[in-house]
Amino acid sequence: MNGTLVKNQLIFDFAAGSLGPAKSVFTSTYLYLNSKASSLNNTFESMLGDDLISNHDVALDKTTYKDCISKIKKTKIKSDEESSPISKLVGPITDLKWKQKYKGFSEFNLKIKDDDELKLIKMDPGVSVPLHSHGGKEYILVLDGSFCDEYGKYSVGDIQINDQKIKHTPIACKDDGCVCLSITEKDVIFYGRYGSFLNLFTFIKSFFK
Amino acid sequence: MNKLQLNQLMIKIREDRDEMAFSSLFDFLAPKIKGYYIQNGLSSENAEELTQEVFSIIWAKSDSYNPSKSALSTWAYTIARNKKVDFLRKNKGFYGNEEDIREFLYEANREDIFNQNEINEQVKKLNMELEPSQRKMIKMNFFENKSHKKIAEELEIPLGTVKSRIRHILIKMQRLL
Repeated sequence: MNGTLVKNQLIFDFAAGSLGPAKSVFTSTYLYLNSKASSLNNTFESMLGDDLISNHDVALDKTTYKDCISKIKKTKIKSDEESSPISKLVGPITDLKWKQKYKGFSEFNLKIKDDDELKLIKMDPGVSVPLHSHGGKEYILVLDGSFCDEYGKYSVGDIQINDQKIKHTPIACKDDGCVCLSITEKDVIFYGRYGSFLNLFTFIKSFFK
Repeated sequence: MNKLQLNQLMIKIREDRDEMAFSSLFDFLAPKIKGYYIQNGLSSENAEELTQEVFSIIWAKSDSYNPSKSALSTWAYTIARNKKVDFLRKNKGFYGNEEDIREFLYEANREDIFNQNEINEQVKKLNMELEPSQRKMIKMNFFENKSHKKIAEELEIPLGTVKSRIRHILIKMQRLL
């Protein structure tokens, strides 16, 4: 899998406005944290802006510019305070009611109505996730701290995309742990000592969705 | 009208609340925005309604337009796109209380750290390196949001060829940026 291409595809689809709600939240947070990604998005939006001004015309039936002036009371302009899209959505991450999955590993489900599941994940320093692979794609964006796995180290603003071919064991950084935003397209498959138990749990859980 | 003229019109709208400038911008751009919505599968009626909403925003939020951050064409495109996203989601009934999320989705572009000239340079480079047929495919896929299947039908080429060409174009763009 070409990881960079998948990441860029996310940005292009964001610019095009064709992502679902979960991936939109995920990608806007990614753009907020990662200036390289944001630069690519700006360039691509600029190309699409050129497409707009060279687009073919479809005459308006009845609307005139006056309709757009008269309709509006001065709308309030949103403050430009600098906080990440995710904190705007759920408030400060430190105040969330995390749900502990096992010792040192907690989740907070954002419960967005979408086929993709959007979650925050918190790992204490040095904690690892059991070896697993993925039924669908999994997208992980580091919001705070860092984590490592067999493929490298991921810091704030880095994104990792895993598909069913990849088995990995992420470990949170020893110093300050890790908070990530994650999207899972389908349930994860676990391997190893507790693997069969965790898979059974996932299987049972699927009845309650 | 070129990009620069459009930017200048928008500055007049922002600084002087100039209705004539707004009327010129409307005459030029509103039919193109309506065209965009129709290409994206909306009915003529909905397309017209959204176009009106876009121009209401352009007028009401002209204060937030900054020519050194983005060209008017880009700014107007993002407003039109966001309206489209809102519209399609509302119609799909994605959220019970959709207001909570929509508001936050598309405002995280930190345009402040980029210079408009740099972006222009990048776009120029891409336009020079991409062949017209490749540029057209980008427009069909991302501006008109046509599926690969639809593109294949319209251009009368096999679906597999469309997929591999788009992939090739994206890799090429990625290398250039």
